[in-house]
Amino acid sequence: MSIASLIGQVLVLIGAFFYVVSALGLIRMPDVYNRMQTATKSATLGSLGVIIGAGIWAIGEVGSYSWIPKTLVIAIFLLLTNPISAHALIRAAYRSGVPLWEGSVVDKYKEAEKSLERVEGIKGNLEEALEEGEKDE
Amino acid sequence: MVKRILAIVFILIIGFWMAKALDQIPFGQDRMLVGKYYLEHVTEDTGAINAVTAVVVNYRGFDTLGEVTVLFIASTGVAALLWRKKRKRTAKTEGSIVLTTGARLLLPFIMLFGAYIFIHGHLTPGGGFPGGATIATAFLFFYLAFTVYEIDHKIFEPLEGFAGLGYVTVGLIGLAIGGYFLFDWIWQTWGIGRENVGRLLSAGFIPIIYTLIGIKVGTELTGIVDNMIKEPEEGG
Repeated sequence: MSIASLIGQVLVLIGAFFYVVSALGLIRMPDVYNRMQTATKSATLGSLGVIIGAGIWAIGEVGSYSWIPKTLVIAIFLLLTNPISAHALIRAAYRSGVPLWEGSVVDKYKEAEKSLERVEGIKGNLEEALEEGEKDE
Repeated sequence: MVKRILAIVFILIIGFWMAKALDQIPFGQDRMLVGKYYLEHVTEDTGAINAVTAVVVNYRGFDTLGEVTVLFIASTGVAALLWRKKRKRTAKTEGSIVLTTGARLLLPFIMLFGAYIFIHGHLTPGGGFPGGATIATAFLFFYLAFTVYEIDHKIFEPLEGFAGLGYVTVGLIGLAIGGYFLFDWIWQTWGIGRENVGRLLSAGFIPIIYTLIGIKVGTELTGIVDNMIKEPEEGG
């Protein structure tokens, strides 16, 4: 067994381990946001390990270098798209009012939205006052 | 409750009946009659490595023409059902900046990959329909990420029609040269690409037809999405 196939096997093993961890997290975690956290992070890492590991494994086992570019392209594409989809899912979940876990302490997003609303309200009041002032003149 | 139980019993009976019928067919044994001919003669007949696309485009090209027609009718039907003069996008909120930037970055890659799939239909798994669907996915991504994005209808609908027309034209040239519709004139009469089977420039008219189908399916599915994502304006 060559060194390349050994590296590939270790990478695939690591990837599979992270897949199992991410599946465990899906069962174990309390709310949507925590579950998404475990699912995206460890599943992305697991996929990278398995995909690139398969490419390196093929060098040692089959002696073919043509797997590596393909697996690299797939891995990079996955690395680029997985976080975007996770971001969109989480945002949609928050927007549609999925509650946070009861143990959560801070919700800065809500605070930011509230303060933004307050700023908008103040702005509106100021504009009204300005218009009235212009009328008086 | 009674309804549900009756439905389950009925489905179980149908399932048992189908399993009984399928039981007669041995699994994993060589029962091919026509399939054997396809597998043994595909490369000399069509020049393609991918037997599936050779069967779909070359041996049974009529089916593919029918499928393309079905898709075209679906697209036209959706357009006819949802036709209104003034229609606008319904999206109220812009996607987040991560989503819009990601869409902008990924669009060329997704399009490139779709084009790769349909150009290499005779060599790798895939073909015109998956490639076209991938291209339509790229446009769907744009539709979902931006509130105001809209395809250029002046380019898209003529392109769709001309791609379909190109398919029929290729078939008609085969009729003129070889005697029947969808005759593979590039491979069988001209013999182009006979020496590089397995490379890109081979397999007769399969890459040409799949490029046309890919363009057609891509524009068609995008058109369906475009039609369904819009709503009539107030009083429109």
